Amino acid sequence: MKNKKGKLFINLLAAVIIATTPIVAYCSESDPIDSLNVSNYYRRLSIGLNIPTYRDFATSPLFYNGYGILLQTSWFKNSIRRERDLQIGLTLNNMSARIPKSNYIQPKTNAVFAQLNLRYNRLFQLKSISNEKVNYKLGGLAQTTQNFRINQNLQNNAIGLENITNLMVSAQMTRDVSRNRQRTFNFGLFKIRRSPVKRDLRFQLNYGIANFNYRPGYAYTYVPEINGSETSFIKFLRSSYKWSYFDGQRLNTDLEFIIYLPNGNANSWSYTWDIAHVPGNYQAFQMASHQIRYRLYFHAKKR
Amino acid sequence: MKKLIILFILSFSLFSCEKIIFKPDLGSKDPLDNFDYLWNEVDKKYSYFELKSIDWDVMRNKYRAKLSKNSNEEELFTVMANMLNELKDDHTNLVSPFNISRYDIRLKSADNSYFRTIQKHYINDIWVPESGIAHGFLNGNKVGYIMYPSFLINFSDDEMDLILNRYKNTNGIIIDLRNNGGGSLLNVPRLLGRFIETKTLVAYSIMRNGEKRNQFGSKQPFYITPHKGLRYNKPIVVLTDRGSYSATTFFALATKALPNITLIGDTTGGGGGIPNGGQLPNGWTYRFSVSQTLDLNGNNYAENGVPPDIEASFDWTDLTKDEILEKALAELQ
Repeated sequence: MKNKKGKLFINLLAAVIIATTPIVAYCSESDPIDSLNVSNYYRRLSIGLNIPTYRDFATSPLFYNGYGILLQTSWFKNSIRRERDLQIGLTLNNMSARIPKSNYIQPKTNAVFAQLNLRYNRLFQLKSISNEKVNYKLGGLAQTTQNFRINQNLQNNAIGLENITNLMVSAQMTRDVSRNRQRTFNFGLFKIRRSPVKRDLRFQLNYGIANFNYRPGYAYTYVPEINGSETSFIKFLRSSYKWSYFDGQRLNTDLEFIIYLPNGNANSWSYTWDIAHVPGNYQAFQMASHQIRYRLYFHAKKR
Repeated sequence: MKKLIILFILSFSLFSCEKIIFKPDLGSKDPLDNFDYLWNEVDKKYSYFELKSIDWDVMRNKYRAKLSKNSNEEELFTVMANMLNELKDDHTNLVSPFNISRYDIRLKSADNSYFRTIQKHYINDIWVPESGIAHGFLNGNKVGYIMYPSFLINFSDDEMDLILNRYKNTNGIIIDLRNNGGGSLLNVPRLLGRFIETKTLVAYSIMRNGEKRNQFGSKQPFYITPHKGLRYNKPIVVLTDRGSYSATTFFALATKALPNITLIGDTTGGGGGIPNGGQLPNGWTYRFSVSQTLDLNGNNYAENGVPPDIEASFDWTDLTKDEILEKALAELQ
C-alpha cells in the first residue's frame, strides 16, 4: 500500500509539473512574431502496415499476433520553436494465437482486433542544446486508445473492449539531412542527377507518466446480462468494466524520414513502436505494435 | 554521420524493451502445465463448489495422478474432461480441435417432448416462420400455442407483436420451452416483458469476485420490465422438461414470481450459472459457470433445475397424445 501511494504521488506530481510549469519560457525565447512567421500548418494523411501483438490474461495465457492496416489523419503545426499535433488513427487487424505445434490437430484461434487512437502532442524547443543541424524539443502528449477485440472461441468472453489512456512526457530530436547541392552519379551509359532537397530525420520518444485503463471485472462476465434489467447492447458490454488509475506502463517511439517538396508539401516514411502493460484491477493486458507508415503532408498555410 | 548511426542503434535497442516489459510466453503443450492451468482457473472462478459438495482439491489429486509429461493429447483431453464432468454442469465444456466434453444432463434424464405429436394431432395449421418460433391455435381457437425452440433466436418486436396479436382473443397461451437448451439471456426479459404489467423483481444473481471458493459479490437484482408495446395479460402456461437448460431455467425461475404464469412438465435441466470462456496454454478453450442464480428467498436450487408447479410426463407408448400439453389445456379451461 505504501509503495502504491508513493507511486501515485510521484505520478500526480509529474503530471502537475508538466501541465503547469512554464516550459515555453524555459525552452524558447518569447518571440511570438518570429514563431508566427515560420509556423507551417499541415494536414497529414497516413497509411501503413500494422503488426500488433496482445495478451489478455483474463481469458488466455497466449500471445495473439497478426497483421493489419493503419489509417491516420492529423492536424499538424510545426515551427523551429514549437510543434502541435492532433492525430486520429485506426488500425484493423487479423490475429491468431501463438500456439505450440500439436501432434493431433492444430487448434485454430483467430481473432479480430481494431484499435482507435486519439493523441494530442505539444512540443517546445530546447534552445540551449539545439543548433541549425539538430533541433531538440520537449513536451507532453495525451493519448487514448480504445481496443475492440472479438474472439468467438472464447464464447461469453468473446468481446474485449479495454481503454488505455496515458499522459506522457515527450522528447524529440530532428536532424537536418538535406542534400544542399546537386549530386551527379555517373554509371557510364547514363547519369543520375540528384537535385538539392530538404530532408529531416526525426526521432520521438514518449513515456507514460500517468497511466489509466478500463478493464473488465474479476470473472469477466457482464452484470446486466445477469440482472436482466438492461437490454441495451452498449450498456450490457460496458457495465462491468472498471477504471484503474496510475497503473501500468506505456512507451512509444517514432522514427521518421521526411522529404519536403518544392511546393511546400512533404512525404515521409516512418517506423513506430508502441508497447503497453496494463495490470488493471485483476488480470493484466499487454499489447505492442510495430507500424511502417507512409505519410503525406499537405501544406495548408504559412503564418 | 556518427550521430545518425547512434540514433539508429538507440532506436532499435529500445525495441528489446518488449521482452523486459512482457512476461515470458506461456504457450505450452506440456500436459501437466495445461492441467494445472485449467484446475487453477476453475478453482479461482467456478461458482457451485458448495452447492454440489465438490472437493476440488480431491479432484486435482485424483485426476492429475492419471497424467504425466508423456501423456498424449487424447489422454490429456480425457482426463481433463472427466475432471470437468465431476462438476455436473452442462455449462462446463472443454473444447479441443478433435472433441468437446459435455456433461449432457438431457441424455441422463427422461425425454418429455415430441413436437411431431403436436403437429399431427393438435394443431392443423401450425405456422413455422424463418425464425423457428412455431405457433398455432389449440382447443377450438381458445388457446394459443407458441413453441420457442432456443433463446438464441433473437425475435424482432414486429414478430412478437404479430404472434401476440394473433392470439389476443384466446383464453390463454401455452409457451412450450421443452428441449430449449437456452441461449441469450437478453431474450428472457424481452419475452417475459410481454406478460407483465409492472416492473417485477424475479430473481438475484451473485458472481465470483475473488479467489476463495465462497467469495461472491453482492446480490444483483434480476428485474423484468414490461414491454412498452403490445402485451398479453391473460394466463400463461410454460412447458418445461430436463432439456430446458440455462436461459430457459432463468425463465422458469422468473415465472415463480409472476402469478399469471404456471410451470407444467418436468424439472428443468438446470444451468443457473453464467458461463465464462477461456483458453489453455495449448490453445484449447473451455468454459464453466462463474455465477449463481438465486430465487427471491436467496435459494440457489436453479443450478439443479427449477421444479414445475404441476408435474406431468410424456407417455411414449401413445404418440397421439401429449400428456403435458393436455395438463396445460386443462389448466387454461
